[in-house]
Amino acid sequence: MIRVEDVTIGYGERIVMSGVSFEVRRGEVFVILGGSGCGKSSLLKNLIGLQKPMKGRILVGGRDVAAAEGDERQALLRSFGVMYQSGALFGSLTVHENVRLPLDEFTDLSLRQRDVLAHTRLKMVGLGHAGRRMPSELSGGMKKRAAIARALALDPPLVFLDEPSAGLDPVTSAGLDALILDLARNFGITFVVVTHELLSIFAIADRCVMLDASRKTLVAEGKPRTLADSSEDQAVLRFFRREAEGAQTDRSQPK
Amino acid sequence: MPASATGIEVGKAQDGGAFVSLTGALDVRTVGAARRDLVVKLAGVLTEPLSVDASGLDSADVSGMVVLWELANGLVVPGVRATISGLRPELEAILATYPSPDEVEAAISSPAESAGIHSLGRGALSIVADVRAMVEFVGALTSALVAGLRRPRAMRWPEVLRVVEKAGVDAFPLVSFVGLLVGLIIAFEAAQPLKQLGAEVFVADAIGIIVIRELGPLITAIVIAGRSGPALAAELGMMKVNEELSALETMGLDPLRFLVVQRVVAGTLLAPVLTLYSVALGVAGGCIVMGMLGYPFAVTWAHLQGAVHPADLLVGTTKGVVFGTLVAGLACLRGLQAGDGPAAVGEAATSAVVSGIVSVFTADALFAVLTYVLKI
Repeated sequence: MIRVEDVTIGYGERIVMSGVSFEVRRGEVFVILGGSGCGKSSLLKNLIGLQKPMKGRILVGGRDVAAAEGDERQALLRSFGVMYQSGALFGSLTVHENVRLPLDEFTDLSLRQRDVLAHTRLKMVGLGHAGRRMPSELSGGMKKRAAIARALALDPPLVFLDEPSAGLDPVTSAGLDALILDLARNFGITFVVVTHELLSIFAIADRCVMLDASRKTLVAEGKPRTLADSSEDQAVLRFFRREAEGAQTDRSQPK
Repeated sequence: MPASATGIEVGKAQDGGAFVSLTGALDVRTVGAARRDLVVKLAGVLTEPLSVDASGLDSADVSGMVVLWELANGLVVPGVRATISGLRPELEAILATYPSPDEVEAAISSPAESAGIHSLGRGALSIVADVRAMVEFVGALTSALVAGLRRPRAMRWPEVLRVVEKAGVDAFPLVSFVGLLVGLIIAFEAAQPLKQLGAEVFVADAIGIIVIRELGPLITAIVIAGRSGPALAAELGMMKVNEELSALETMGLDPLRFLVVQRVVAGTLLAPVLTLYSVALGVAGGCIVMGMLGYPFAVTWAHLQGAVHPADLLVGTTKGVVFGTLVAGLACLRGLQAGDGPAAVGEAATSAVVSGIVSVFTADALFAVLTYVLKI
């Protein structure tokens, strides 16, 4: 579904990461993880075509994201949905109108059909009751759910989620994880999730890659449980064990 | 990649009704055409009872299933509810997630509009609340200003200078342009009727009085209200949205004293300077027109000296001070009143322009009455 081939990402002279290669398979929940500042969101921007890699190429559905232009780029952009970290709901539209917007713009369905589909999407994410509200009236978790509903509006086979659990309480976060799994299992959607929330990673990821800020590259790839239990890379182990270098951080342990 | 079409076959069933057989793909790309095709093919066929065989569908998605939902709810052929069969379990599960037509209607319909009298009442209450907020703001601001003037060293003067530069110095080109043009326009407009009366030379007198007492301060205030007022409101609005104001309060710092006083002082200092500059350019514009009409500069100057008194300059400058204070103060108030979200910042900026212009004209009208009564 996605192939990243020896990609280098940076801004001007500054290299954020280099030599990054991996594949995302159809139907899996794939997580890009790593500490703050390792370039997860930069990689995501390259995957969805908002930035072009300095070197290498990224193929989504067999098409080079950076090289696609005109109609091909439009078709490529419509082949996936994106949920941004803040939700990025349009503040001047109701939640229902936000979800209906892609259907309004890119389909020839009647208004009734678009309304039904938008409401169905909202029901799927547990927001069937909130369609008339404005985005400013939603909580953080509800905004993210609404943004997922909007990302799903055109039935994309691939959905990117940027930090879906960030800033949410554990219960809301777990609910969002369950939603992602439900959508992946029942609708066959491939999810690429950028996150550093360990609980979410273990809950949803079929496979993951880990980026490392100090080495500026991908340092691990595989199933999260396997990486956590048997990785030989110290940075990977520290990440999964939530260890700061040389620090004891678990106050629940007896001294 | 071209979308595969949905195959639709419509025929008569053995029970006397109609059947629809669907094959191929029924997804977001094909569903619109499929719906139209279905309506055409069902027209003229006896459609009750209607049964739909979906076992031939190779692929379908949530969007594609909307046409089956419509068939099942009697929305394709009005009133005729179709029986759907042959759906694969995963597609049946998708169809099961669809809401009922009534549920959709209830979810998207707007609440009934309130009667006019309620809207009127809400509007009146909103005005009362706004006036109350203004009064409270003026009181709090005055108190903060007095405190600031008592301890001028505590005033954050670099912030005042930054605002003066941002709101004032950068406005000079626009004020220059508008000020000069106002002088030119007034002179040309006055020249024609005065020429018919044989009093063309009194154009200089008209310019002196109109520009210095009235239009100079007014136009400058409108420029500040339109250019600098929204910038001030947006800046404070953004700070509120980003919780910077809350951070100040929790640090024990009063946002009025820390942010608003500096902006109001900057506006109060800046406006009279810009007003005098605008007046000078307006008079210069008038002098240019007088020169074009054939009057030497000395004659124009003599008429200006005769027509304009120190009191006129005093009135113009005082207006500048008052207008600047009003525009800056109201812009800050609107910024502090901003709601949540980026849209609120835009609303605060718009509100600052409207409030600024309304207050400037209201104050100008009061000045007109006051100067008439006091014979200034």
